[in-house]
Amino acid sequence: MATTVLHPPTTAPGYRSGLYEWVTTTDHKKIGILYLVNSFIFFFFAGLLALGVRAELAQPGIQFFAPTTYNELFTIHGSVMIFLFIIPILAGFGNYVVPLMIGAPDMAFPRINALSFWMLPLGGLMIAAGFLAGGGAAAAGWTSYTPLSEAKYMGVGEDLWILGLVLVGTSSILGAVNFLVTIFKLRAPGMTMFRIPILVWTVLVTAVLVLMATPVFTSALIMLFIDRNYGGHFFDPASGGNAILWQNVFWFYSHPAVYVMILPAMGMISEIVPVFSRKPLFGYRAFVFATAGIGALGFSVWAHHMFTTGSVYLPFFSLMTALIGVPTGVKFFNWIATMIRGQLRFSTPFLFSLGFLTMFLIGGINGAFSAAVPVDFALHDTYWVVAHLHYVLFGGSVFGVMAGVYYWFPKMTGRMLNETIGKIQFVLMFVGFNLTFFPMHMLGLAGMPRRIADYSSAAGWSELNLLASIGGFTIATSMLPFLWNIFVSLRNGEIAGDDPWEANTLEWATSSPPPPYNFDRLPPIRSERPLFDLRHAASTVGHAGAAAAPATEPGA
Amino acid sequence: MLGIATLVVVVVFLGILAARGNVVDQLGNVWGSFFPPAATSTQGSEIRGLYDIVFLLAAIIFLLVEGLIVFAVVRYRRKPTDTELPPQIHGNNLLEVIWTLVPTLLVLFLFFVSWRTLNDVDRVDAAAPVQVRAVAARFQWSFEYLSPDGKQIQFKQFEPKMFVPVGQKVHLRLQSADVIHAFYVPQFLFKRDVVPGKENSFDFTADQAGTFRGQCAELCGEGHFAMQFTVEAVPPDQFQSWLQQQIDNAAKQSQQPAASAPASGQPPASGQPPASAAPSGQAGATTLALTAKGIAYEQQSLEAQAQAPFTIAFDNQDDGIPHNVDIHDQGGNSVFKGQIFPGVATQNYAVPALPAGTYQFVCDVHPNMTGTLTVK
Amino acid sequence: MTTDSHALTTVEHSPVGGLAHDARGGISNPVLGMILFLTSEVMFFGGLFAAYFSIRAQSFQGWPPPPFDKENPLEIFPLVGPATVLLIISSFTAQFGIWAIRRNDRTGFIRNIAITVLLGVVFLIMQGIDYTILASKGLSLDAGPFGTTYFTLTGFHGAHVLGGVVMLSVILYRGMAGQFSARHHDAVEATSLYWHFVDIVWIALFSTLYLLPGTTVG
Repeated sequence: MATTVLHPPTTAPGYRSGLYEWVTTTDHKKIGILYLVNSFIFFFFAGLLALGVRAELAQPGIQFFAPTTYNELFTIHGSVMIFLFIIPILAGFGNYVVPLMIGAPDMAFPRINALSFWMLPLGGLMIAAGFLAGGGAAAAGWTSYTPLSEAKYMGVGEDLWILGLVLVGTSSILGAVNFLVTIFKLRAPGMTMFRIPILVWTVLVTAVLVLMATPVFTSALIMLFIDRNYGGHFFDPASGGNAILWQNVFWFYSHPAVYVMILPAMGMISEIVPVFSRKPLFGYRAFVFATAGIGALGFSVWAHHMFTTGSVYLPFFSLMTALIGVPTGVKFFNWIATMIRGQLRFSTPFLFSLGFLTMFLIGGINGAFSAAVPVDFALHDTYWVVAHLHYVLFGGSVFGVMAGVYYWFPKMTGRMLNETIGKIQFVLMFVGFNLTFFPMHMLGLAGMPRRIADYSSAAGWSELNLLASIGGFTIATSMLPFLWNIFVSLRNGEIAGDDPWEANTLEWATSSPPPPYNFDRLPPIRSERPLFDLRHAASTVGHAGAAAAPATEPGA
Repeated sequence: MLGIATLVVVVVFLGILAARGNVVDQLGNVWGSFFPPAATSTQGSEIRGLYDIVFLLAAIIFLLVEGLIVFAVVRYRRKPTDTELPPQIHGNNLLEVIWTLVPTLLVLFLFFVSWRTLNDVDRVDAAAPVQVRAVAARFQWSFEYLSPDGKQIQFKQFEPKMFVPVGQKVHLRLQSADVIHAFYVPQFLFKRDVVPGKENSFDFTADQAGTFRGQCAELCGEGHFAMQFTVEAVPPDQFQSWLQQQIDNAAKQSQQPAASAPASGQPPASGQPPASAAPSGQAGATTLALTAKGIAYEQQSLEAQAQAPFTIAFDNQDDGIPHNVDIHDQGGNSVFKGQIFPGVATQNYAVPALPAGTYQFVCDVHPNMTGTLTVK
Repeated sequence: MTTDSHALTTVEHSPVGGLAHDARGGISNPVLGMILFLTSEVMFFGGLFAAYFSIRAQSFQGWPPPPFDKENPLEIFPLVGPATVLLIISSFTAQFGIWAIRRNDRTGFIRNIAITVLLGVVFLIMQGIDYTILASKGLSLDAGPFGTTYFTLTGFHGAHVLGGVVMLSVILYRGMAGQFSARHHDAVEATSLYWHFVDIVWIALFSTLYLLPGTTVG
């Protein structure tokens, strides 16, 4: 039937459109790429701030930054990494991949999609602009606990931080509505809910979390803004407010936000591991239920960030926190069971996935220590927590993001990233990451609190801090091969073709990069691996596969 | 590739150890660094017991799961002979049930043991023999010793040193004057937030004598890192006599407020900047200028003449934050202790004649504020 | 696998048959989008309500706290009670408008939406007057936690009413231009959902701020 070669892979058609085209686009693929580029810009910015922090802490004494500046550095580092890198970059992958994966031509509301994106750089610039403001950027930590973040203690930078985050939050909410409608309504015929790829499921649960949690954060931000600028009395106990109220509303959002930051990465790993193992994902349904379970439990554990405040009912939140480990454990066993008896191919995306598995595991286990409340009394707000959150967000999310970049770059650009440079990057990043963050466990145990600009040379923390700083600069070094790889591969990379990885999901059924309307035609969808079915049918039935394929349920 | 990366980490690590001497000893140190410091309070020891249980469980799970990953990676790498697809296994319900139930039981166990420890650690006895209130303010700690019923302040210790008796339960209340702080003593394996508008409290019993470092653990502003204190656990009789002496001093002082400054337990005149303490007539001719700003001395080194009294004009520019100058000799003994007072204010300290040598000066409220005084 | 095998297979029915927007029938995309968006709005007001109840519960001086403990400045008459009734009526008129356009009765649709817009504007005016009265009694945004919570909650509700009035005005304008019919009026359905939501929030606010009895120090 029809042509033999739909998209001859002779040249990689690039996006030749000009700047105007990019600024005004409503194509989910271009917006997805904008998300990725924008997120990486903020990633490098926040990474530089982190280098500042590590440089200052490399040895005792104050060398480079005054304590006020130091507080600004880690505050903006945390805020930008979380709100302008991890959350948006995962939304960016979702934007690019989800419509393709479910066989849709675009998102449900393309113009709202563009609006969601353009709020991000604006919000991000506002947060970063704090450095230019009188009194400096926000310096109350990314958690901005009251009353420290009140007008009495923080300058205009804090207001910029608040307004920037309101924008970023609104962007997230609109994006979530868009994802949900797209996933509910725009699936291709045959693409039932239990056939959508796991990544789409994780994006769905993430969108629900964003939809329910982010507005609560927005309300908290607005209350803080009123306190700071219009004489409100929400959070300042000196005038009838409640200091702990902020922590409750903040963590009601920010704990689910942790799952917003990790679930889509889990989803990407769940796409990549089966492809490079040549096996289906072990326990698709278990995976879906585990994801939903994490989403549901995610709303009942926020106060585990507040065990030491003396204001929370400890047994309940301790129990819930312990339980939320279970679905994550289920996922781990499913990933490993997928690899067992498979035929593993160690391409760069799979390497980064293994980095995710091995490192995120540590991030899960060292979190369990803090679920045991008395142990949390010892570890809370020490470098142990810094180690934990970086093993989750860097070891988990960033390794997942890198796996995703190497996996989908061919689809986005039509060209492969260089495998050798990719492996160099992986080794540097893996080594640098562990060198930076593993010693932080020991520092935390030894009693080093987080967010301190300086420590005494008598405290015995100097060597481990130096090690961590060396590691931090190693991570920074690992970004050079990454950038070089992208630069080189965009021009001279190997032509990818439609499906370079022998993948399973629909995005590989169209050309690389896909046409603006995504698909000329769709293969029949009879399982969660339509492309596998297609390949398999073609190889067994020979070249009569077309006739053998009956129409899937029409309309569905 | 992952193997190479891990190998590099291990080699670098062992290399560093080897460069520093006996590898076996060093490995012992590394093993020790996986645990909190030895607990010096009974509550801390209980937490340590719980930590060890959690650590054991964590280590087993870590080795099991990482082992499975490594096994899969080594055993199932794709070979050139792998032309046929591997078996397409979609799942196994029995396995799913097992690896849902086993972790569930495990975390429930973890929950119950931690709950038990929590009940012990969190038990509060408002009638404990020693009643102290720690007052946290940006960026210093002070300690109010309360009457046994916890209602009256017997005396207030302005230096960030908390004396407690060994073996007696201390009921510690926490009060904040401004933002949220946290009372954290690593060797007690414990911290509790100091929340404005709300009094938290907890009990602890130091089970050995010693000086234990403590620090604010909740970001409270630019001086957060400097907000340190020590807990000095001393034998009960020593504690009682110290306490009695402080109470007497405080009583004496309230009778004659203009008396010259005793070493510690001296309240800064709140609100109004205190007048210059020392009549300048007695002071030496030389005056050294010293400024405190941003929880640091602006002058890192001072020079003075040997065997001649001199004056330090101490300018405290930190609004509302108390500082002083305490001069230590090489042996760490205090040879001069200036009055603690809040900024913005200036005081002239009359320092007696000192023998030639190198001294260190430090702010008693902020032990990380230091400088060198050279006398020659 | 090469690309050839993909090309060899075909798709059921039309090449891009499954790709049309809104392929799955049932609830329309804009209405579903609005319902989801309103979920987030519920959570937004949930955050504000949580703050209100938390501050109210920890007020050690009773509620309303001094200086408003003698005489609560919040009064149902003459303004707030009638305004509440008007807002509830406007929800009905909005719904009558929906039913009219579903019957393809454009005149009835336009008439009802116009009344709804008018009622919304009147509500806003009454709220504005009430604010000036409260200010004269010394209740303002910075007058302690009582004033802060009151004006934040009602202020954000008022902003939502204003937003609703603007959206309804656009609907009215487009309706008069003849852009809606029984088959095509998703925007109307979505906007009326929003308006009902605004109404429900006000009922919750009114009950909480005006009907819930105050507490005194015990």
